[in-house]
Amino acid sequence: MQPLILWLLVLAFAGAFVVQVATRVRLILAAPNTIAVDRLGFRVARFLADVVAQRRTIGERPAAGFAHALVFWGFVAFGGYTVIEFLAGLGIADFTHTRAFGFYRLVLTPFAVGVLAGIVYLLVRRVVLRPAGLGDHVSLESVVIGLFIATLMVTFLLGWRLDEASLAGRVNWWLHSVVVLAFLALIPASKHFHLVLSPIAVFLKSPELGRLPNLDFEKEQVGLETVKDLGSKIVLDAFTCVECGRCQVNCPAWGAGKELNPKTIILQTESALLAGERDRKLGEIYSEKVLWQCTTCGACENQCPVGIEHLPLLIGARRGLVSNGDAPGYLGGMYNNLERRSNIWGLAYDQRQKFVTASGLETFDPARHDVLVWLGCAGAFDADFQKSLRSLFGVLRAGGVRFGVLEKERCTGDPAKRTGNEYMFQELANANIETLKTSAPKKIVTSCPHCVKTIGADYSRFGYSVEIVHSSVFVEELTRGQTGAAGQEAVTFHDPCYLGRYGGRVDEPRELLMRFGAAIKEPVRNRENPYCCGAGGGLLFADKEEEPGARISDVRFKQLQETGAPTVVTACPFCSIMLKGAQASARSDVQFVDLMTYVGERLPSPPRAAAD
Amino acid sequence: MILVIAEARDGRLNRATWETLAAVQPLGDPITIVLPGAAPLAALGQELAEAAVAEVVLLESPALELYTPDGYTAALTPIIEELSPSLVALPHTYQTRDLAPKIAARMDRALVTDVTAVKPGAAAQEGPIFVRPMFQGKLTADVVMQGPAPHFVTFQVGAFRAEQAARGASPAPSRVIGPTGERGAIRQQPEAPFREAKQAVDLTQAERIVAVGRGIKEQAHIAMAQQLADALGAEIAASRPICDAGWLPMDRQVGSSGQTVSPKLYVALGISGAIQHLVGMKGSQVVVAINKDPDAPIFEVADFGIVGDLFDIVPALTNALKS
Repeated sequence: MQPLILWLLVLAFAGAFVVQVATRVRLILAAPNTIAVDRLGFRVARFLADVVAQRRTIGERPAAGFAHALVFWGFVAFGGYTVIEFLAGLGIADFTHTRAFGFYRLVLTPFAVGVLAGIVYLLVRRVVLRPAGLGDHVSLESVVIGLFIATLMVTFLLGWRLDEASLAGRVNWWLHSVVVLAFLALIPASKHFHLVLSPIAVFLKSPELGRLPNLDFEKEQVGLETVKDLGSKIVLDAFTCVECGRCQVNCPAWGAGKELNPKTIILQTESALLAGERDRKLGEIYSEKVLWQCTTCGACENQCPVGIEHLPLLIGARRGLVSNGDAPGYLGGMYNNLERRSNIWGLAYDQRQKFVTASGLETFDPARHDVLVWLGCAGAFDADFQKSLRSLFGVLRAGGVRFGVLEKERCTGDPAKRTGNEYMFQELANANIETLKTSAPKKIVTSCPHCVKTIGADYSRFGYSVEIVHSSVFVEELTRGQTGAAGQEAVTFHDPCYLGRYGGRVDEPRELLMRFGAAIKEPVRNRENPYCCGAGGGLLFADKEEEPGARISDVRFKQLQETGAPTVVTACPFCSIMLKGAQASARSDVQFVDLMTYVGERLPSPPRAAAD
Repeated sequence: MILVIAEARDGRLNRATWETLAAVQPLGDPITIVLPGAAPLAALGQELAEAAVAEVVLLESPALELYTPDGYTAALTPIIEELSPSLVALPHTYQTRDLAPKIAARMDRALVTDVTAVKPGAAAQEGPIFVRPMFQGKLTADVVMQGPAPHFVTFQVGAFRAEQAARGASPAPSRVIGPTGERGAIRQQPEAPFREAKQAVDLTQAERIVAVGRGIKEQAHIAMAQQLADALGAEIAASRPICDAGWLPMDRQVGSSGQTVSPKLYVALGISGAIQHLVGMKGSQVVVAINKDPDAPIFEVADFGIVGDLFDIVPALTNALKS
C-alpha cells in the first residue's frame, strides 16, 4: 500500500517538476543560440571555485555565504541518500540495510547539522535582519522553502532516535519524503531553480567580464529589440536568478538612488519570457530610462554568484535602441564628435599634435622603439590629463624605455561600444586596427583602462591581438628595486572599474604607491569591486537634469573622503574628471593626483620634464 | 539687381537678414528685399525700409503664416522669375537650408550655401568669389558661380555683422503684393517650432558671456561678476560647481552637462578649465581667462590670460569699462 501511494505522489510531483522545467527548457532552446564554450580549463577552475567552493557566495557576504555553503554541501551530500530512500520506498531496490548505507548516514549527520544551522541563520536573516538586497517584503515562498529544508534535516536527525517501523518512525519518514517531493515541485517556478541551473550558468558564463560579441551587419543584426531577440544564455540567466540582490547592492546607479536595479532587469526578463511576450519591446519592459543609467562598471555581473551576465543584456538592449535612433540626446553630440573628429570631445586634431610636439614624442617605429604609448582621447586632448601623461613620459625616459606614439589615433570606440552604437564602434575599431597593423607594435602602454579593455579584448574579435597594459602595470615592473622618498604619506586609491574589475590589476597600483612612500587608506568598495566614478557607459556626457537621485561621482567622492586621506590617487582619466568634478562641487580640499604623476614626482632622480 | 529674401517669425525679423544685407551691399548692385509672410507685414516692412536698398516688397498671403516648403516655394518662385535678379541671397538659417535648394532646383539654377566671405572676382565678368567651408570646416573653398542667372547664395549666420548693414538716408519705397502663383496644395502640416534650448536662459544666443568658477569662492562674490557682466552687456554663466551649489541656476551652466555656447567674447573668472567645461565653450571667438593658477588648463584655450587675483582684477576691469 505504502509503495503505491509513494508511486502516485512521485508521479504527480515529479510530473509537475518536469512540466515546469520543460516550459523553461523550450524557451531556452527557442532563443537564438549565444552559447559558446571556450577556455575549458578556465571554466573548470571557475566552476570548482564558484560552485564547489562557493567563492562568490561567501566572498561578499561571509556569514550568509558560509551558511549557504553549508546548505549547498549538505544538499550535494544528501543526493545519494534521497535516491536510495526513494528506491526503497517505491519497492524498486532496498539498500537501506546495507552497512555502506549505515556508514553513509553516519557521514551525513554532521552535514545535516550544518544544513540546519545554515538554514536557521538564513531564515533569521531573511525574516528578522532583512538586508536591502532581498527586496522590500519578505518572500513567503523563500520562508516556506527554508522551513522545508529545516524539516528535511530535523526528520533525518530524528531518524536516529525513532524506530523505523514504529508509527512515529513511519510518520517521520513520510514527512521527509513528502517534503522532498513538494520541494521538487516548487523548484522550477521559484528562485530555487538555481539549484539546477546555476552550475550550468556558471560554467557557460563568459570568461571575460562584459563580453559583447560584435554585431554582424551583413546578417542585419541590430541588437536586442524585443524579447524574442534575447539569446539563449540570457534566457538561461533569467531562470537562474536566485534574487540574492548582490547585483543590486553593488550597482553604483542603484546606490546613488537611480531607478536601475540589475536584479529587477533579470526578473522582468523572466516574467516577460514566461508570459510569452515575444514581441514586446525591451525598452518597454525595463523602461528606456533605466537602460541608460548603467555605467557598465560590471559590478552586477562580476558579483553574481550564479553566473548571470547582465552586460550583454543591458548593452544589447541599448544597441536595439540606438539602431532605432532612440539614444538619449546627450549621446548624439558625443556620436557627432566621434564621427567628425574621432574623439569624444569634438576637438580639432591639431590639439593632439601640439601636445605630441610639445612633449617631444617620436612617431612609433618598431625598429627603434620598445613600446607604443597610446594617448587616448583624454591624453590627447584634456590639458589636465596631459600632465599625467607627461609624468608617464618622464618615468619611461628615466627607465630607459624607448617609446613612440602613433601619428594618428582615433578613439578606441569604447564609449560607442558601451552605449550600443556598434556601427560606430566597428568603424573606429577597424580604422585603428589598420593603423596599428601598419605600425606593428609588440606592446602598447596606455594610462586609460578603457583603452586597455577595448584594444586588448574587444579588438581581438576582429582578429587583431596585441599586448596592451595599463601604465601602472608597466611602470610597476619598470621601477622594481627602486624606492622613493621615505615617509608614510596617507593617500587613498580609487580603483578604476576597467582596471580593477575588468583587468584584475589591483596589486600593481598599490605596489607602486607603497614603493614610493604611500600609506594607503583603503576606501569602501575597493580592489576588484570598486564603486564606479559614474563616467562609464557614456554617462560622462549625461545631463544632471535627466538623472534622478544623486550623482554617482558624488557618492564615490564621499566614500573616498571618508578614508580621511588628504590625497586621492586615480589611474583613469575618466575617474579623474568625474571625481574632480565631485570634489569641486563638494568644495573640498582633497587633492587629486594621477598615479603616474605620483610616481614621477617621487622617483629617486626626478626625470626632467619634457620641454613644453 | 540682387534679391534678398528676408526671414521673420512671430512678428520679428531674424537678425541674420541684416547680416545678409551686410554681405551683399558691398557688391554695389541695387537691392530688393522680399519679405514673405501673413498680413500685416507693414511694421516689419518699415524696419526693413531703413536699409540702404532700392525697394522692399512685402509678399502677403495667409498661406505664408507658417513656413512650409511647398507654400514658400510656390509663392517665391514667381516673384524671383518676375524680378529676374542676378543674385538671390538668403541667410543660412534652418528654414533656408530647406527652402533654398528647393527653389534653386525648381528653377535649375546654381546655389552656393553657408558662405562666410565674399571676395571680388578675378575678372569683372566672372562675378564675385564666394568662400565657404568644406569637410566640417577643415578646408575652405572659393566658389565662382556659373550658368544662367539668377544665382542663389546663402550666408552663414554670424559670418557678417548685422550692424554693418548700411542704412538709407530716407526709407526705401515699399509695396505690398498679394498671393502669387497657383495655390497648389501644401502637403506639409507645420507643428510648433522646435526650440533646442530647453532652458529658460538661452546662453547659446549670447554674444558675450562672463562665466564664474570655483575661484569665486563665495556666493556673495557672484554680484561682482554680475557687475562686470552688466558693464560688458554680457550674460552671466558658470561652471558645474557653482550651479551644483545653487549659487546660480542650473540653466546658466556651461559645459558638457550644461549648455554649449559660442559667444564672441567669453570671460572665464576663476574657472580651472576641466575638459567638460572647455568642450562647452570651445566655440567662443575670444576667450579671456582670469585665474590665479598659471597651470590651469583654461589658459590652454584662452586668447588672453591674466594670472592673478580675480578679486583685484574684476572690480578694476568693471570700473575701466564703465568710464
